[in-house]
Amino acid sequence: MLEIASLHVTVDGREILRGLTLSVLPGEVHAIMGPNGAGKSTLAHVLAGREGYDVTEGTARLDGADLLAMSPDARAAAGLFLGLQYPVEIPGVSNLLFLRTALNAQRRARGEPEISGADFMARVRAEARALGLDLEMLKRGVNVGFSGGEKKRNEAFQLAMLQPRLAILDESDSGLDIDALKVVAAAINRFMSPDRAVLLITHYQRLLDHVRPTHVHVLVDGRIVESGGPELALRLEQEGYERHAA
Amino acid sequence: MSGMPPELPTRRDEAWRWADLRHAERFLGTPPPANDALPETDRLWLDLAGPRALFVAGQPVGATAQAPAPDRGMPRHPLADLAAANASAGTRLEVAAGEDAGLVQLLHIGRGGAAHGVTRVVLGAGARLTLVESFADEGQDHWLNHRLDAELGAGATLVRVSRALAGRGLVSDRAAVRMGAESRLAHLSLGLAAGALRTEVEVLLDGPGAHADVDGILLGDGGAALDSLTRLDHRVPGTSSRQRWRLVAGGTAQASIAGGVAVARHAQKTDAEQSLKALLLQRTAVVHLKPELEIFADDVACAHGCTVGELDRAALFYLATRGVPPAEAEALLTLAFVADALAGLPEGALRDALDAETRDWLVRRTGGAAA
Amino acid sequence: MSAGSSAAAREGRNPEAAAAVEALSSYRWGFTSAIEQELAPRGLTEETVRYISARKGEPEWMLEWRLKAFRIWQTMAEPQWAKLSIPPIDYQDAHYYAAPRVKPSLKSLDELDPEIRRTYEKLGIPLEEQKVLAGVEGARRVAVDAVFDSVSVATTFREELRKAGVIFLSISEAIREHPELVRRHLGSVVPVRDNFFACLNSAVFSDGTFVLVPKGVRCPMELSTYFRINAENTGQFERTLIIAEEGAYVSYLEGCTAPMRDENQLHAAVVELIAEADAEIKYSTVQNWYPGNSEGKGGIYNFVTKRALCRGARSKVSWTQVETGSAITWKYPSCILQGEESVGEFYSVAVTNNFQQADTGTKMIHLGARTRSRIISKGISAGRSNNSYRGLVRMGPSATGARNFTQCDSLLIGDRCGAHTIPYIEVKNPSAQVEHEATTSRISEDQKFYAMSRGLPEEDAIALIVNGFCREVLQTLPMEFAVEAQKLLGISLEGSVG
Repeated sequence: MLEIASLHVTVDGREILRGLTLSVLPGEVHAIMGPNGAGKSTLAHVLAGREGYDVTEGTARLDGADLLAMSPDARAAAGLFLGLQYPVEIPGVSNLLFLRTALNAQRRARGEPEISGADFMARVRAEARALGLDLEMLKRGVNVGFSGGEKKRNEAFQLAMLQPRLAILDESDSGLDIDALKVVAAAINRFMSPDRAVLLITHYQRLLDHVRPTHVHVLVDGRIVESGGPELALRLEQEGYERHAA
Repeated sequence: MSGMPPELPTRRDEAWRWADLRHAERFLGTPPPANDALPETDRLWLDLAGPRALFVAGQPVGATAQAPAPDRGMPRHPLADLAAANASAGTRLEVAAGEDAGLVQLLHIGRGGAAHGVTRVVLGAGARLTLVESFADEGQDHWLNHRLDAELGAGATLVRVSRALAGRGLVSDRAAVRMGAESRLAHLSLGLAAGALRTEVEVLLDGPGAHADVDGILLGDGGAALDSLTRLDHRVPGTSSRQRWRLVAGGTAQASIAGGVAVARHAQKTDAEQSLKALLLQRTAVVHLKPELEIFADDVACAHGCTVGELDRAALFYLATRGVPPAEAEALLTLAFVADALAGLPEGALRDALDAETRDWLVRRTGGAAA
Repeated sequence: MSAGSSAAAREGRNPEAAAAVEALSSYRWGFTSAIEQELAPRGLTEETVRYISARKGEPEWMLEWRLKAFRIWQTMAEPQWAKLSIPPIDYQDAHYYAAPRVKPSLKSLDELDPEIRRTYEKLGIPLEEQKVLAGVEGARRVAVDAVFDSVSVATTFREELRKAGVIFLSISEAIREHPELVRRHLGSVVPVRDNFFACLNSAVFSDGTFVLVPKGVRCPMELSTYFRINAENTGQFERTLIIAEEGAYVSYLEGCTAPMRDENQLHAAVVELIAEADAEIKYSTVQNWYPGNSEGKGGIYNFVTKRALCRGARSKVSWTQVETGSAITWKYPSCILQGEESVGEFYSVAVTNNFQQADTGTKMIHLGARTRSRIISKGISAGRSNNSYRGLVRMGPSATGARNFTQCDSLLIGDRCGAHTIPYIEVKNPSAQVEHEATTSRISEDQKFYAMSRGLPEEDAIALIVNGFCREVLQTLPMEFAVEAQKLLGISLEGSVG
């Protein structure tokens, strides 16, 4: 599904990713772990197409299509979702209008009909209930006045509503108390299916107690230095990243 | 007109520094040419129930309507005085105490030359009126010069929308409103004109407890020159006002707002806020903001905030990651940007219609799909 | 000076301060008339201009420059747009040259009006400096000795500056010694025809200061220190030109917290600053000219043109002003941000009391890409005064990515004064960002009560709150002046309550 080969990325002339290679198949949950500054968020942002990241070498393909040649919205329409570490506030645009606009834009791009108001609201109610989000909150501006935990739940809510094929979740667990963490983890587990995949980017093991990864990678200094199964995450939790220090 | 020709203000006059009065100079003293043809007006009315009256080149269509006497108590004003001196027809709307006159629409069509108009509103105690005055044309150069004088009795409510749709020429509209105790004014200037616009609102808050919302949306594209000026004159203790203006300028358009708040001596407990914001879409466009405070009382809460800038890049990216194409994302954020200025109007069909009209303009401008 | 300031800081305030200010207001100097002065003939004609130039031994080009300015001035009119009520000024009924001004001479500080002396003490001005200010005979040498251990400070300073390559002269000296530099830069930032008062200054300027800090040099001292001790009365038409070459830095302080007497009613100074690439100029002003009495009689008219050209990339100019004096202030220190990424700052406190009028602010003209400006203005009005902030932020079409932030706060004390905010924002570049905020408030009863319940007298409580209101600006002043300026605010507002 996602094929990243020898990816080099610079930000402001500084090389952050230095030849990253990764392959994710449908049905897999990959966790990318690593110390601060290893390039985790850069990977998430460059895959989603944020400005300011220069790919100097390498490729990234989603289902065979050249991801790096696509605009951010085209990537979303192709099935990629980025859950942001710091979700943006947009005063004046309600969460519901935001989501419906996004959903319909993606449907149009894929040649599908737009969703009816009734169907949309029915799904909103169901997913909001599952994530413990108040409907009144969703009528307010996007993320405006939301706590850190509410913003993360809102990201999970968007994931559930937009139904992408590949979800890249950047530090989705930061700033969450244990109850909220369980809610977000449940949303991720609910989202997973044999034809979808998840890339979890996290500093800590604790989300992985609730979302079981199929693969764990250690990202240090812009490269994946070690890969393994879930047991690797447990070992990292105990040992830290010292073994990988350059 | 007799005697000396009246003097038009120039850009040397502080209150007119950003105004484009070339059409006023050109048509001053030139009446519109005779033309009895009825204009096509269907798309110019807001699709809302209520009485309507049409004025073409200053003349009423289908009815006679003498120009009402202007309110002599209002501050002198060069263009408003011209309108009073030259209008041959107009509208007087008097609502008796306690009555609700619903929504009234007046449509003014410019057709070559200068046309002057006067609307006089008198609301008794507790009376209510919603008045939509629209200014449009048929593609000819012209000058539509209009004056509204409104007197609000105690507890009365006036909602007025000044809607400039003209494709060419100059629309100058000045509203002067005197407010009694506990009265309410919600005024919206909607500037969608493609030519020149001067929209002015002066409010005399004369009764304790009076509250005015004076808002504006100016959307300028092409070579439009949209100029606005307000003065909220808090003259007695305990009055309040809110001003929200949103300006968007693309092409070689100019959009400007000089927003004024004055607090007289002894007008304690005045609560006045101005929020003026502008978005420039292109480097060839220009915006001017002048939020002015003139304060002579100490126990007041007066503030203004102004911003000019681009759309938030982080928000644009966020929308893109959710699959919204750039043009649509821009339209959505721009709409959110201007929507604040509709907040002073009561919720309902009128606000929805104006929201839709704003949205249509933005969609046309960006070429994007409906947000 | 720091010793004096801290001594003053320890000293508590007492109610006599009010009386001292009252004494100043009534302007009891009593020793001003007997001094012989060499005066130009009354009136202003070409002959006056020639007389001034000849008296100063100026070269021909300088005279021509003045004459050209004078001819232009004759065609100009006073600006009318400020929110000021200015009594008509008879420009022919004045002397335009009084040379070099002789201060009244006192044998010792004991001869000084005790009320004024008390005010000096309130301000925490060191004893020896008081003598300089009061014009005590021989004071300068004493001041020098007291503060700087028997070495002539002027000599020390001159020597130190000379070693660094800094040119620091009176403008008259500079015209003689560096004519090519003055000729190149004079009027290049404030053109002769810029405005009525600047044009008048160009024709008849008396004296002033010239500073050039050469490439890469960080001026080794605050030029304030030197300037204060040598505070000559440079007259009513002061002219200042400061040039910071590439990478240079200079901090210049003008004025004085002590109330300065001057019988010239009209002051029209011109200040021009030029900052080349990576250079920085910090210009601080404390203005406390005679404001007129409590009935609004007398007082200085202060019509100043100050402008900086940030010509080079990454250059920076900061204006800081504390304006408490003068009957009328008309002043807009401005920055033309031409170099890419150049920075302009304006920090202002303006206090008006009694019948004072101030119309002051700044202009930030953004021309270069990624230029930035910051405006913090604090206006305090009391008595029957009027205090206006007038500012312009202009983003030109080439000011891509430029930024401005403006904060204008007004504080009203009493209900007979006025506070006005008149900002202009003009933007022609879509990527430029401008943010402007303004508030108007009064001293809250809660704050005042809280401070008084902790033992502060009412006026002290107000001074404390006002200082808090101005903190952002005061902290940009050089340290020793910040302390004095704080006291000055309190004194300026005395008599404003009750």
